[in-house]
Amino acid sequence: MKSHAAAEAAGSGIRWLAVGMTMLGLALMLLLHWQVFFWVNTESTMGVVQRIFYIHVPAAWVGVYLAFGTVALCSAAYLWLGDERVDMAAVAVAEGGMVFTTIVLLTGPLWGKLAWGTYWTWDPRLTSTLLLWFIYLGYFIVRGSTENPERGRRFAAVVGIVGALDLPLIHLSVTWFRSLHPQPVVLKPERPTLDPDMLMTLMTGLLAFTVLFLGLVAFRYGLERSRWNLELRTRRAAAS
Amino acid sequence: MSFPGEAEAPPLLDAQGLVREFAGIAAVDGVDVSLPSGGFLVVFGPNGAGKTSLLRMLGGGLRPTRGEVWLGGERIEAGSPRGRERVGVLSHQTFLYGHLTARENLRFYGRLFGLSDLDRRLQHRLGEVGLLERADDLASTFSRGMRQRLGLARTLLHDPDLVLLDEPYTGLDPHAATVLRTVLETLRDGRRTVILVTHNLTQGLELADRVAIQARGRFAWEGRSTDVQARDFEGFYRETVDRIEGLR
Amino acid sequence: MKLYLAQLWAVAWKDLVIEFRSRERVGAMAGFTVLVGVLFNYAIDPTLVRPEDIASGLVWLTIVFAGTLGLGRTFELEAQDGAFQGVLMTPVPRDALFLGKVLSNYVILLALVLIVLGVFGLFFSLDWGNSLGALVGALALGTLGFVAVGTLFSAVSSGTAMGGALLPILLFPLLVPVVIYGTSVTGRLLAGRPFAEVEGQLRILGAFALVALAVGAGLFRYVVEE
Repeated sequence: MKSHAAAEAAGSGIRWLAVGMTMLGLALMLLLHWQVFFWVNTESTMGVVQRIFYIHVPAAWVGVYLAFGTVALCSAAYLWLGDERVDMAAVAVAEGGMVFTTIVLLTGPLWGKLAWGTYWTWDPRLTSTLLLWFIYLGYFIVRGSTENPERGRRFAAVVGIVGALDLPLIHLSVTWFRSLHPQPVVLKPERPTLDPDMLMTLMTGLLAFTVLFLGLVAFRYGLERSRWNLELRTRRAAAS
Repeated sequence: MSFPGEAEAPPLLDAQGLVREFAGIAAVDGVDVSLPSGGFLVVFGPNGAGKTSLLRMLGGGLRPTRGEVWLGGERIEAGSPRGRERVGVLSHQTFLYGHLTARENLRFYGRLFGLSDLDRRLQHRLGEVGLLERADDLASTFSRGMRQRLGLARTLLHDPDLVLLDEPYTGLDPHAATVLRTVLETLRDGRRTVILVTHNLTQGLELADRVAIQARGRFAWEGRSTDVQARDFEGFYRETVDRIEGLR
Repeated sequence: MKLYLAQLWAVAWKDLVIEFRSRERVGAMAGFTVLVGVLFNYAIDPTLVRPEDIASGLVWLTIVFAGTLGLGRTFELEAQDGAFQGVLMTPVPRDALFLGKVLSNYVILLALVLIVLGVFGLFFSLDWGNSLGALVGALALGTLGFVAVGTLFSAVSSGTAMGGALLPILLFPLLVPVVIYGTSVTGRLLAGRPFAEVEGQLRILGAFALVALAVGAGLFRYVVEE
């Protein structure tokens, strides 16, 4: 009985965190959009289209670096410790990460088309992100297609770890390839000198996306926890 | 599983509270197994009683949901190669490679176990199961009975302390069954611990010194073979199983 | 240590003997190579592109596709009669088991590399020239990394409902560096460029192979556990 109460408390704690973070994240998103559309200056070289940068870059930061790095760490911890909760965190983060990676893949070519006239130019960053999207896909497929769900979780962890180890090399090789065969580069987030307003908007974007992401992950984690507890209770009820 | 009036020999095999769940259903639901060196336990039970899962856990091939397996002071864990050289398992699956000859199959396993004097051991085991003349034929050319005999040779190749046999008589022709029976007799030498799962009540009782009836993941009854009257056992077995199965 | 190597070798030898007798995988990969060569011939307009110009890419792609096909079968042969379960019940360390599998797969894929060079050399009148040794060396190095990652993920895909069909999805993103650096090296060697130019890329391929072997050996136990 005591463990039930503790689980309930932990569960509601996570729920409060999830709700709080998400609401904060949404508020920051509203702020961001106001800044993007009404406040920040238009960038000189690329024009209005450049504003997509404030959506694209934070999404990349969250979906690619933050999310996938976390997935890899959680996966390694899960294999080492065998604690299911670490794996629950991993899948929650992976789902959020995939969503944000998809946003990157949608906004990137859009920017390219509007700024340069072509959707896809094998830009190294976008290409790496595309490959990462497939690694995420592999993560979810192996998770779901095993007979024994625990084995699926372990498989997914292996995919996460190997993917994270390979991704830097993928990015390196793709960038190197481009250096040999120059083509118009779409994304140069660091290159355009950012005046204080732009920097501020970018920061807002990073913050908004990160907070929203954490909120969504918290919700997803809570959901996974609940599902697990429900499974546990059903099993115990069936056994007695 | 403790037998009243037994001398306190330390158990070679000790597993308490073994549970294994598959998707929420308990295939094995709290089984204790404790056997001294030289013990020969025969487990009877209907299909679906969880006998195979129990055996697999004892052999380290399946991770228990709860409970641990200890063999002579060493923990047998699924996923760890420790202690494996002391366990031999024979199941419906023979673990043989069709494209290899009988001798090559045994040699492969012998190398994995790091056995010395391998060729002599191969000869001995092949002779024991009566496969010496076919030793250099591909395993894919063997009949079911011959494969099982080869599997038995493989099981005993490394001289394991614990031998686990999962319904080895299944699908055997009379000749192969006789060979199996003869080899099983030699296992009752007091040095080895054997657990045999079988449907064959008569054969099982002849070999056993301990008997258990497993149904619905639990031992419904356990006792020494001396407690059992072979003539009445079939009736008793049916009665016990019906009682457990009828509970749902 | 001696036991470890003996066990590793026992695993590799067993696979090679079986492959030698059944010729399943090499046969399938060889047939695939020939037919792909034919398709390439008709898919590329020789008036627009000279095969020599894209030979490097064609060779690598064929190795990756045919190799993935062959690697996907690594654990299928173990499934008959539950053989792999039997192996797991022996005291063989899981990393020795992995490395043994990698070794046998590597030998088989090296055979594929030679077949590809032979078939494409024939079909497209390609002169591998005096750089053949270096060429094979570069291909061998890239293939090692390929086999290491491929063997690990072959074990993963064999454990899923989709089986070997899943392997390309898991493997191809990870192989991008191998393809990029590999084709660069072979392309330059074929064009007669000096070795110094490809040294750096060869080092990267070598590093990839080493890390892949180490990581695979470490993670294999989590993949094969029931």
